[in-house]
Parts: sequence; C-alpha cells; structure tokens
Amino acid sequence: MIKFAKNNFLYKIYTWLPLIILYISVLNEFDLNYLDIDYFSFNFPFILIFYFALKEYNKFDYLLVFFAGLINDTVVGLPLGMSSLSYILVCIFASYLRNITIRPHLIKDWFYFLFVISFINSINYSTLFLFFSYDLNILFYIINNLFTFLFYVPISIFLNYYHKAIND
Amino acid sequence: MASSRDDFIIAIRSAFLKKSTKQKFSLLTLVFLSIFIVVLSGINFTPINKVKSFLNEMVYRSSFIVSIPENLIVNTFIEIRKYSSFYNEYKDNKKELEILKSKDVSSKIIISENNELKNLIEDYTLSSNKILAKVIVDHKSPFLKTIIINKGSSEGLKIGTNIYDKNYLVGRVIELNYKSSRVLLLSDFNSSVPISITPGNIQAIVIGNGDNSGKINYIKDNLIDEIQDRSIAYTSGTGSIFKSGIPVGRVNNTGNNFYINFYSDFEQLKYVFVEIEGEKSTGNQSNQIEEQSIINSASDTEKIKLDLLNDQIKILNETNQEFIEENQTLKSKSNQLTNKISELQKELGIKEEKIKQNISDKKELEFLRLNLIYSSKCQRTSFRKGYKVGTPEYKKCILNRGMRVND
Repeated sequence: MIKFAKNNFLYKIYTWLPLIILYISVLNEFDLNYLDIDYFSFNFPFILIFYFALKEYNKFDYLLVFFAGLINDTVVGLPLGMSSLSYILVCIFASYLRNITIRPHLIKDWFYFLFVISFINSINYSTLFLFFSYDLNILFYIINNLFTFLFYVPISIFLNYYHKAIND
Repeated sequence: MASSRDDFIIAIRSAFLKKSTKQKFSLLTLVFLSIFIVVLSGINFTPINKVKSFLNEMVYRSSFIVSIPENLIVNTFIEIRKYSSFYNEYKDNKKELEILKSKDVSSKIIISENNELKNLIEDYTLSSNKILAKVIVDHKSPFLKTIIINKGSSEGLKIGTNIYDKNYLVGRVIELNYKSSRVLLLSDFNSSVPISITPGNIQAIVIGNGDNSGKINYIKDNLIDEIQDRSIAYTSGTGSIFKSGIPVGRVNNTGNNFYINFYSDFEQLKYVFVEIEGEKSTGNQSNQIEEQSIINSASDTEKIKLDLLNDQIKILNETNQEFIEENQTLKSKSNQLTNKISELQKELGIKEEKIKQNISDKKELEFLRLNLIYSSKCQRTSFRKGYKVGTPEYKKCILNRGMRVND
C-alpha cells in the first residue's frame, strides 16, 4: 500500500479528498447522466455526505458542506439554500445514527439511508412544488431516490478502503 | 423505558448541538441558516439576490472549468461516432444544401415583402440583432432543463430574451447576471410556448415534458381533429413572451395525444444565438423625412427584390444547364439502348430460324423412322396396291403408320 509522510502535500490533498470530490460533484452535477438512460440519475453528494458524517471524519467540515449546497443550488437553478438544507439534514440524521448505534452494520445503515433520502427528497419536492411553484416530475425523484439507495453499498464499500487507509 | 428515552434525547441533542472536532458551527445553526436563506430567496430579498448573482458568476465559470475533463471525454466519443457516418452525412447534407439554396431565395423575397408591409402598418419596427453565445454549463439534469450561456446584462440581455439554435427557438432567459444567464429550455416542465400549427393556423400551447419534445395543450376551440401529423409548429407571439413566426418543431400524433418534436436537439447545444432587441420609433418624424424614408425604403426594397430576382434567374439558369446536361446524358444512353435492342432483335431472328430448322429436321427424322417400319405397307408392288415412293400420298401413308389414304 502507498504510504505518505504526514507533512507531505499529497497526503494533505488525500485527506481533503472527500470534500474535493464533493465540490467537483456539485459543480459538475456528477450522476452519470450522459449514459442517456431514460430517467437514470443518482445523488452522489447524498451518499458522500452521509458516509463521512456517519464516520465522523474530522476533515469533513459541515460549514463546507453547507457551501457545497449553495453551489449546487446555483448550478441546478434551485432556490438558494435548498440543497444546503438537504445536505445539513443528511448530516444531522447521520450524526443521530452514529450517536444511537453501538455496533454499526452496513445493511442497517443502508436502510436508514433509504429513509433519510426519501424524507429529504419529499421535503425538497414539497417545498419546490408548494412554495416555489416549480413543475417537477415526481417519477424523476422516485427513480433518483431508488438509484441513490442502490449505489450506497458499492460506494460505501469503496470508501471504506479510503477511510481505512487514512486511519492507518 | 425512561433510559431509552434519555438515550434518544441525548442522541438528538448530540446530533444537533455537539460540535465535533474542528467543526466551527453546530448543525442546528446551519439548519436555521439554510431555512433563513431559503425564505429570503423565496421572497426575493435584494441582498440575497445580489449574493446569488455574485455566486452565479463565480460558480458558472468554475463549473465550466470542472466540467472540461468530462466534456472532453464525452465529446471525443461523439466525434468518433460522427466520423463513422461522416461520408453518408456529407452526401445527405449536399443534397439538402441544394434544396435549401433554392428555398433561401424565395424566403429572402418573403422577408423583404414582410418588412415592407410592416413598415406600412406599424409606426415602429423592432430591430433585432442576433449575437453568438457559448453554452458554458449544460448538465442535462433530469429535474430542470436549463443551460447557462456566457452572455448577460452587459451585452443587453433581458429576462425573457429569446434564444435560438440556428433559426429554431430553444428557450428564453429566466435568470440574468452581468456576464452570464440561465436559459429555460422548451423541454422543461415549466416552459409553455404559445404556438400556431400549420396547415389550419390552429392556436395552441406547447408544454415541455422533460424530453426532447413537448405536449400540445389548450387547443383553441377544440380544433384537435384538424391537426395533422407532421404539421409545422411555430410561435404565435401571443402574450409577447416569444416573437411570432419562429419555427419550433413538427407535430407527432401518438393516437391519444399530440406532441411537438422540437427541431433543435437540446442535448447537443454548444453555441446558441441570443436575440437583442431595440425599438426604432418613426412616429415623430416630419412628413418630408417620412416620405423620403418611404421612397428610400421602397427603392431599397425594389433593389433588393431585383437582386433577389437576378439571383433566382442565376439559379434557374444553373438548374437549366444541369437539366440540359442530364438530357444529353439520357439521350446518349437512349441511343446506346436502341443499338442494343436492334442487336438483340437480330440475334433473336437467327435463333428463330435455327428453331424452325430444328423442327423440320425432327419431322424428317420421324418420317425416316416410320418409313423403315411401314414402307412395305405403303409401297406399290406387283401384288399390292400402294403408292409410288416419293409421292405426297406415300408420305401421308407412312405418317399415318401404313394406313392408306382411301382407308
């Protein structure tokens, strides 16, 4: 395995990698939508935020997550603050699960994640529809929710390697 | 029971209020801040709008830079796919170009006539100027169909400015910044365009369905039966949101519903045209100047018409020349074919003669075969009454297999 010296610049980049990826994904709206599959999309920032908030990763600053939400709103064209609220709610739910759980288990986290994203997407849809009069297709939200849920396990297994490497 | 409730409350408190290592704000503070910003942006609070405008400028550029690697990969893939069908596309384009060239002349005449008529019926005309804009952010989001372009209020754009791909309508500006703006595409659920459908001049409204097409709604006077498949839809100009007469797409009848397949492919937008409009008032000018301008415009229009007619004559001459050349080629081909036909006819005559000869030879052979068998029956001898060898009666007798004519 590659080992970095702790003062190395590359090591610093490596430790900040989750936030860098989060910012790239909100700026680029990374969801593999160029695959041209009908209705296919998933919310990568939700998975990333939930995973690292759950692991209480010390470089994962909530204020920076909040700013990532503001950037996402600007890119997608949503009212300012909507994505920030969603991201912070993900952090709160993850933090609650971390505090209440003694023995963490991936499958339990996974289904809890489904509840969290469904709840947050419902809030998002309702707020946009009722208060901002946005015309949105609920089917897109449901499919997005489903794919985000399905992608959680493979992505979290992959992120486990990263987390393990950082702790080592 | 009490301890589990305590655990729950402790967990909640810890989740909301506890600041972990290196966290500057508690999550509760950030939640309130988010809700505060959402509410303020909901009521269009000016400082929030300014912050948003500033963020837009920064984020759009950053997003463009961040998207470069992904766009590069996707574009390379598209380019490779294009090269594979390059030659066929070239041939189709060449044909289409010829057709469009001839159509262009007639459309120029119509435009000049249209301008002339507008000058006659209106006291002002709209002068429009199309500028090219680059699409800097297009994430093809499944939720909101919008693009960001690199032209903003500094170039004279306004909320509602029409955006084109070539001559086809693609959307309108909904969010304006100094050097960039957000365009709502026609395919978005929130987009509705008043259209006219020809033939029939049927008025309707097309609403985006999140795909590269839109659904026709609110047809005036229930003229649904009169809509034909593949009819052309263009903007009607009702409500002054879009200019009138801009091509939008073609009607597609799916049985129960009518859809508009937009002319422009919104997934492939790289550059778009922005229409900057300005009003030219002519109402307060003096009569003399007015008359002079009318005379000038009329003479200009005549000149334009003459030029266009000359162009049309030129094109017609060229087409004529092409027809003559084609005619000559066809003539030479026809001569070649006539020669071939005469040669084939000769060959046919020779073959027919050969067939006739063959048939007579067959008959002769048959006679000789029968002659060997029945000659004794038909031949005249001193004991039997028959026929002299070589006479037609003898031949008849042989062919009748020995039965004499009188028998």
